[in-house]
Amino acid sequence: MRDVYIIGTGIHPWMGFSEQVFTDFAAVAVDGALKDANIEWQKIEAIMAGIFIYGGNAGHLSGQYLESIFGETGIPVVNVYNACATGSASIRMAYNSIAAGETETALAFGADVSPKGFLTAKSDNAVQDRDVIRWKMGGLPNPIYWALECRKRMEKYGTTEEDLALVKVLMSEYGSKNPHARFKKQYSMEEVLKSVYVCDPLRLYEICPVSTGAAAVIVTADEELISKADNPVKINATTMGSAIYGDPTIRISALSCPSVPEAPMLSESYSASRQAYEKSGIGPEDIDVLELPDNSSWHYLVYLETCGFCGDGEADKMLRDGETKIGAKLAVNPSGGFSSHGEALSAQALWQVIECTNQLRGRCGDRQVEGAKVAMAQTYGLMGNSGTTIMTV
Amino acid sequence: MENMANKVARIPNLVDWSTGEVRLMSAKCNSCGTYFFPREHYQHRPGCSREGVENVLLAGKGKLASYTIQYYPCPAPFKTEKKITPYGIGLVEFENEKIQVTGIIIDTDLKSLEIGMEMETTILEMYTNEEKQQVVTWAFKAVQ
Repeated sequence: MRDVYIIGTGIHPWMGFSEQVFTDFAAVAVDGALKDANIEWQKIEAIMAGIFIYGGNAGHLSGQYLESIFGETGIPVVNVYNACATGSASIRMAYNSIAAGETETALAFGADVSPKGFLTAKSDNAVQDRDVIRWKMGGLPNPIYWALECRKRMEKYGTTEEDLALVKVLMSEYGSKNPHARFKKQYSMEEVLKSVYVCDPLRLYEICPVSTGAAAVIVTADEELISKADNPVKINATTMGSAIYGDPTIRISALSCPSVPEAPMLSESYSASRQAYEKSGIGPEDIDVLELPDNSSWHYLVYLETCGFCGDGEADKMLRDGETKIGAKLAVNPSGGFSSHGEALSAQALWQVIECTNQLRGRCGDRQVEGAKVAMAQTYGLMGNSGTTIMTV
Repeated sequence: MENMANKVARIPNLVDWSTGEVRLMSAKCNSCGTYFFPREHYQHRPGCSREGVENVLLAGKGKLASYTIQYYPCPAPFKTEKKITPYGIGLVEFENEKIQVTGIIIDTDLKSLEIGMEMETTILEMYTNEEKQQVVTWAFKAVQ
């Protein structure tokens, strides 16, 4: 295995619903990545594309649709879907292909145009697709799953409504400084606590909506390209995890979960992060910047514990004591997180990697984490999907 | 239960009321001991032979392991003619089966919800179909 570097990244800023097609957004992100890497399209030897699940045949073959825009060159184009961890899968495949010596330079990208309103069932077969049951019989939109876990947490560890609101206060402060963010308004504690409940105990400002966005990352082992790049970022590990038997988390689209835990909560993320720590030789104590999936304020807290940044039930204290702020030893979500962006399914994991890359390259302006050398991007996808990427300069 | 003959589940094989008591339709693996809900939601222990899966009914009563109150109407394909919003959703634990199941909470003061309280499985009538049958789903209510 050889060293693999990120040399170029591109983003189409996050936004709400759009009538534009997903390839328009993808092309903006890929153009940006090519320009940042200072290379021509023909240098790309493989495309690992995130599937845009609501895009029909085009969305399922997003890599081919993208390739035809820039010019078809006969290279391998693979399309992959792992729910909200889709981008983790695409960058991992790009990394593995290069590390194994099969490819010199590869592109990982994802682009998503969110459907109007809610994400709902994509089939009508209740036997094979339990998503159908949870919508037709369960009355269970996604945030309910998070609220059920959040309530358990409050009962077990004493997490307060102020803790949940504080996450949003912090995320909105950082999001207001991020030109890529969709939501740039800064909120006070009082404003968050006055926002309506969506599903008690989670309020409107404490859960993230669905968004439109695109992200592209160019990775390479080509020494010439690396030497020409502006602050290339090394990928120390990029892993994926699935759930472990006995995980007590009530997973999105499931109707049941085990009542006697035999595995950690969010075991797919526990697994992905531990694989990354082992492969990279880097642990939570070494990390300067962490981008975690704050789909809700509950996620912000639990992910600090799942990924080993503190013990179980200790994240609230970390937050209250300011230990997750920019300027503390660990900066959590200096991007403003999903709270300031919303989810763009196939793009968001790459967007997290790009925020980490920008921090390591010192490009983040008012939200820059000074002296950042080690960063980690952690994703969370429904039905047991997760990825971890650890990067250094 | 009154007039259950005129009721039909919107999706079959999830809830049973044929014995007079409303119970969830589960399956149990006699090799690894795991209960599944829905039945087809297989979650075997790794290494399990997967032999001897049998259909079983969960207990009629369990304990509330968690809950939330949903403040906006559930979007389609959820469908009900009733104004149920805001509605409670419970995660009810069936101790012997070592499983927790989600369900809409009805006939219960939502202010009285508390983790650990005893809940029983019941039926929520959602809408009337063209055959004039009540289309139902499972639900939970506090044990009186």
